[in-house]
Amino acid sequence: MIDMIEKEDPVISEEEAAQYDRQIRLWGLDAQKRLRGSRVLLVGLGGLGAEVAKNLILAGVKGLTLLDHEQVHASEESCRAQFLVPVTARGQNRARASLERAQNLNPMVEVHADSDRVEDKPDDFFLQFDAVCLTGCSRDLMVRVDQLCSQRNIKVFCGDVYGYYGYMFCNLGQEHNYVEEKPKLVKPTGNSNDGPEAKKAKVDPNETTMVKKTSSFCTLKEALEVDWTSEKAKAGLKRTPVDYFLLHVLLKFRTDKGRDPDPQSFAEDSQLLRQIRDDVLEALAVSGDLLSDDFTSYCFSEMSPVCAVVGGVLGQEVVKALSQRDPPHRNFFFFDGRKGNGVVDFFGPK
Amino acid sequence: MVQLVGSLRKELADSLSTCKVLVVGAGGIGCELLKNLVLTGFKNIEVIDLDTIDVSNLNRQFLFQKKHVGKSKAQVAKESALQFCPTANITAYHDSIMNPDYNVEFFRKFVLVMNALDNRAARNHVNRMCLAADIPLIESGTAGYLGQVTVIKKGMTECYECQPKPTQKTFPGCTIRNTPSEPIHCIVWAKYLFNQLFGEEDADQEVSPDTADPEAAWKPEETAARATASEKDGDIKRVSTKDWARSTGYDPVKLFNKLFKDDIMYLLTMDKLWKKRKAPTPLDWHQLENSACPQEDSPVSGLKDQQVLGVWGHCQLFQQSVETLSSQLQEKGEGAELVWDKDDPPAMDFVTAASNLRMHIFSMNMKSRFDVKSMAGNIIPAIATTNAVIAGLIVLEGLKILSGELESCRTIFLNKCPNLRKKLLVPCILDPPSANCYVCTSKPEVTVKLNVHKTMVLSLQDRILKERFGMVAPDVQIEDGKGTILISSEEGETEANNSKFLSDFGIRNGSRLQVDDFLQDYTLLVNVLHTEELERDVEFEVVGEAPDKAPPPQTNQEEVNSITNGNKDSAQPSTSSKGQHGRKLQLDWLTEAYNCGGSNSS
Repeated sequence: MIDMIEKEDPVISEEEAAQYDRQIRLWGLDAQKRLRGSRVLLVGLGGLGAEVAKNLILAGVKGLTLLDHEQVHASEESCRAQFLVPVTARGQNRARASLERAQNLNPMVEVHADSDRVEDKPDDFFLQFDAVCLTGCSRDLMVRVDQLCSQRNIKVFCGDVYGYYGYMFCNLGQEHNYVEEKPKLVKPTGNSNDGPEAKKAKVDPNETTMVKKTSSFCTLKEALEVDWTSEKAKAGLKRTPVDYFLLHVLLKFRTDKGRDPDPQSFAEDSQLLRQIRDDVLEALAVSGDLLSDDFTSYCFSEMSPVCAVVGGVLGQEVVKALSQRDPPHRNFFFFDGRKGNGVVDFFGPK
Repeated sequence: MVQLVGSLRKELADSLSTCKVLVVGAGGIGCELLKNLVLTGFKNIEVIDLDTIDVSNLNRQFLFQKKHVGKSKAQVAKESALQFCPTANITAYHDSIMNPDYNVEFFRKFVLVMNALDNRAARNHVNRMCLAADIPLIESGTAGYLGQVTVIKKGMTECYECQPKPTQKTFPGCTIRNTPSEPIHCIVWAKYLFNQLFGEEDADQEVSPDTADPEAAWKPEETAARATASEKDGDIKRVSTKDWARSTGYDPVKLFNKLFKDDIMYLLTMDKLWKKRKAPTPLDWHQLENSACPQEDSPVSGLKDQQVLGVWGHCQLFQQSVETLSSQLQEKGEGAELVWDKDDPPAMDFVTAASNLRMHIFSMNMKSRFDVKSMAGNIIPAIATTNAVIAGLIVLEGLKILSGELESCRTIFLNKCPNLRKKLLVPCILDPPSANCYVCTSKPEVTVKLNVHKTMVLSLQDRILKERFGMVAPDVQIEDGKGTILISSEEGETEANNSKFLSDFGIRNGSRLQVDDFLQDYTLLVNVLHTEELERDVEFEVVGEAPDKAPPPQTNQEEVNSITNGNKDSAQPSTSSKGQHGRKLQLDWLTEAYNCGGSNSS
C-alpha cells in the first residue's frame, strides 16, 4: 500500500499546508502525502501509547485506531499516567476514554477507539493497516502479531516503558525501501577555450539529491532468540547494551505475573525481579554479573518523561517508515533515563 | 525500606509537590515540558511567554487547538495542562521574561528554572538572572531532528555565555549591493529594499550600487576618489530611496526599471568587478512584457507556494505587491512606516518578487515563495517528536537536581542517527565555568576594539552593550577619576549624549568603562582599545575572539548546532577551533549527526 507513489488525493489543501508547514519544510511534501495516506493501529493506551498517539496524530496520518481492552485504573493518583484520559474517566475503557482528546489534537486525522483484546482479533483485522504499534503486550503476543503482520508487508513496531527504562523494536520487513537526502556536489565548469576564465555564478550550495536505499529486518522472534553460546556472540557481549537482557527479564516478569512490577508490592516484586534475572541470564548462558541488583529500584511504573523520550523516538520511526524517508533505526532503541543514554543496536541473525 | 510513589522514591515525590518551578516559553518545547511536569507530579508551576498562538504552531504545540489561534500561549497552555491534573497550581504570564518586574527576587522563588526559548537575547538574560539568584537552570534547544539539553549551575558548570556563541550571520555591504553570488544575498537585498521603500530607512541597509566598493577600483587610490566623487555629484545615494519612490508615486514600472535595469547598468560600468565573475544582465520591463507567453496554468500538484514563477510572473508579482504596499502606506498617513513580516502576504510577495528578479539578473536559479520564505523569515523546521524527546530529558535532569544529584547531570545531545558508538542520545559531562567568561566570573572584564572618534554613545549602548553583551538596561560610568556618567538606564537622563562620540567624553585608548545592569545584577568592566583600522562594515571587535566575517559557504549541518540556540538568530559556528571539551564535542556531534553512516542499511 505504501509503495504507491500516487496517493488518492495528490492535492494538499490550504488548511493542511498551513498547519503542517513547519514539518513539510523538514521532510518534504512527498513524505507528508505518504503519511496522509497511511493507517496505523496502536495497541495499548498507557503512558507510552498516549505519547505515540499524540505524535502520530500531530504528524497527520490518515487514520489511527486506538486498541485497548484495559480500564482506566482506579488506583492512579490524581496526576494520571497519561494525558489523553480525563480525570473523570475512572472505570471506563482506556481507548474510549482517550478518544476525544486524541481527536482534538488534529481533526484532519480519523481517530477510532476499539475496546477489544488484541488476542481476539482475527488475522485479517490487521490487513487494513500500514503499520502496527504494540505497547503493553506480552512477549508471545508481540511475536505472534509481528509474524502475522510482517508476512503481509505491514510495518511492525513494539515498545514499552518500565520506570526509568524503555525500548522500541521495529520490523520493517525484509526489503524496506526508502530515500535519503544527500547534498549535491557540483563543480564549477569553466570553458578552457575562452581567454580569461569567467567563472559561472556559484550553484546554490543547498541543492540536494534523493538517493534510493534498502534496509532489511528480522522478526521479533529472531531478535529475541539470539544464541549467546557461540564464540562470536560471547566476544560481542562487551559491546552489547545490557538493556537487551533487562528487556528479557521484564518481558518474563510480565508473562509470569500477567502484569508489570507494581509500586504497591515493591518488596515482593523486587525480589521476584532479581530471581527472574538470575534465571534468564542463566538460560541465555551469559554471566549473572551483567545485570546488577540496581535495576530493580528503577523499573516500576511508566515514568512520564521516559514515555516522552521513547514515544518521541518510536513515533518518529513510524513516521519515517510510513513516509519512506531517512534511514530507519535498526532494529532496537534502548533508553536509560538514569544515565541519559539512548542506544540503537541490531539483534538477530547476521 | 525503599518507598515508591509511582516510579519515584517517596522523598523525591514529596518534594515535587511542594517545590516551585519556572518554565520560560510555552511553545514547542514548553508545551511538552508542561505536560511532563504535571504528569510527573510537579504541583507548583509558573509559565511565561509573550507570544500568541499561530496556526503553524499546531503541528507540535499540542496544548493548542485551532480555536485558540490568536490567544496567549502561556494562558492556553496553563488551561490545557490543568486538565491533566486539576489540582496542580499553574500561574501563567503573558509577558516578556526581560520585563524588569521579573527581578532577582522573582527568580529566587523557584528551586529550578527551565528554558524553552527560541532566541539568544532571552537566553542570555535568563542565564544572568539565574546566576544572580543562584538557581539551577536547565537550558535546551531543538531544530528539525536535532536537540540538546544542558544544566547550568553557578560556580559548578559553565554558564550559557562561557563559550562565545557565534553572532548573527551578516554579509558585507558590497556583496549585497554589488556582487551577490547566492540567493540569500538577493533575499537580504530585497528585505533591505522593503525597508527603504516602505519601512524604517536604515543607513546600514543600502540597496543602491556601492561605488566605494574596494573591489571595483583598479588602483587603491581610486576607491577613496570614487567615494568622495559620489558624495559631491549628488549621486544615486544622495536622494533617499523612499523620497525618490514617493516622487514617482510608487510607480511599479519606474521602480522596476531603476532597480533592475538602470542600477544594473551602472554596476556594469564597474568593470573590474566582472573580470572574474559572470556579469549581471539588466532587465527591461517592456521587453519582458512583450515576450511573455501566455501560459496555461499548469495543474498544481503540490503546494502553490512551491511553484517557481517565471521572470514575467515575478514582474507581475512585483507590480501587485508594490501597489498593495504603497496604498497600505498611504492609508497609514504622514510619516508612516510598514514593518516587514513573513506572515504578511504582500510583504512576503514583495520580497519573493524582488529577490527572484535579482537572482535572475545575477544568473542564479530562481526560488519558490516557499523557499524564499524559509530564508527571509529564518524559519527553522520543527516537529513534535524532537521536542517531546528534549522535554522528557529536561524533566529527567530536573529530577536529578531536586534529588541533590548535580554530579550526575549531563549535557545530552539528540542526534538524527546513531553515532559510531551506536548512541542516538549522547550524554556528556558538564564543563566547569570558563576562567575568562565575561559573565560568570567574579570580576568580568572584556576589551573592545573600536574607533573612539567614530563610535557614538548610542551605538555603544545598543550595538555593543545590548546586542553584543546581552544587557537589557545598562548604566555606564567612565573610570576617569570623576565617575562621569555616560549612559543612564533611566529614560531621558542621558539622551543628550546619544549622538555624541566617545572621544567627546575624553574616552581614548586604554580608557575603562564600568557597565552595570542592575536588573541582571551584572557588572562588566570594558577596556577600550582605540583603532583606526577596522574592517569594512565592522564597527567594533571583541578582543580574544575570531572576527565576524562572512565565512566560506557553510554546509547545512554545520549551521544546525547554533540554530538549536534559537531561530531568531540564524548563526554560524565559530571558525576558531577552541580545544575546550564542550565546544569540540559539539562540533564532533554535528558532523556525525548529519552523516548517517552506512551501518543502518544492509
